Amino acid sequence: MHIPDGFIPLGQCAIYWVIAIIALIFAFRWGRKNLSEKTIPLMAVLAAGIFAIMSMNIPVPFGSSGHMVGAAMVAIIFMSPWAAVIVIALVLMIQGLFFGDGGITTMGANIINMGICGGFVGYYSWRALYKPKMGSDGVLKGSGILGKRKWWAIGIASWVAIFLAAVLAALEMALAGTFPLGLGLLYMGGFHAMIGIFEAIITVIVVASLEKVRPDLLAWNNLKRSQTDDINLNQWRLLQNDS
Amino acid sequence: MTPKNRNLLIGGLIIALIIGVLSPFIASTNPDGLDASAEHLNPGVMINPGYWHAPFDNYQVPQLGDGPLAGIAALLIGVIIALVFVGIVTLVLRRRDNTDNTES
Repeated sequence: MHIPDGFIPLGQCAIYWVIAIIALIFAFRWGRKNLSEKTIPLMAVLAAGIFAIMSMNIPVPFGSSGHMVGAAMVAIIFMSPWAAVIVIALVLMIQGLFFGDGGITTMGANIINMGICGGFVGYYSWRALYKPKMGSDGVLKGSGILGKRKWWAIGIASWVAIFLAAVLAALEMALAGTFPLGLGLLYMGGFHAMIGIFEAIITVIVVASLEKVRPDLLAWNNLKRSQTDDINLNQWRLLQNDS
Repeated sequence: MTPKNRNLLIGGLIIALIIGVLSPFIASTNPDGLDASAEHLNPGVMINPGYWHAPFDNYQVPQLGDGPLAGIAALLIGVIIALVFVGIVTLVLRRRDNTDNTES
């Protein structure tokens, strides 16, 4: 899904860069408030893992292939789409500058599609499907469309995130005059609907593994016991800093 | 750094490095979703305008030829860069936070 140089006119690239930089400023503000000595190694490891897994294209039907993005995974683990913006943007910068994967002029568009769209769509889809809440008894409970089906919610949200990121890329291609809108949506949406299944499976495996070995790093396990449904990330930050 | 976090860092790095070593052998060589769409819809756009020449273009270390070793080396370099770069950026963000707290 990395858009190379030449796919989007330079004027439009500049607009996407401005949007991406504004988003990065907000993301760094989130990081300044919420990152702790405990979560920094997790973020670095996720970046390394996402870089590696992005290089591994799996075949999909009709002569194409694809890789996972990981934005939904990061957003769900940290319970913040801004975490995904930080990790994905930094990984995209490394891929573009050192490995020629994705263009320099189009890096803003790639950050918007994979980092911002992937992170926000992944996180809020998950929240709509499964709303975590720490009960007064200290047991995590879920509400939302899927009720207690946390893993299904994570898988579906990951699929939606990569699918809509691809749809957004197709819209950008249409705006650039590179792909016709209808066929662009059909091809990009179709290929990434299949790639999304891989994204969903890997995301569930990674989050479930983390839940098994380091449940303290998953933001939802650090929610303060509350009778309300509200998620208070400031409370999570305080807990992270205390430990 | 606590032993638990050190283990997380080492364990995660090992997994990422293993993926990097295996990737040149098991990754599909088919074009990805965007490139496949471009091949069908607008093949002319695939020509790189050459704004930037990446040192490890196409995930290959050019000095190591075009065998799998060149791909493995590039991916291992990338994994290390990603870990260190994101670690440093997030650490700087965190340090600023501490500074802000002490000043306010």
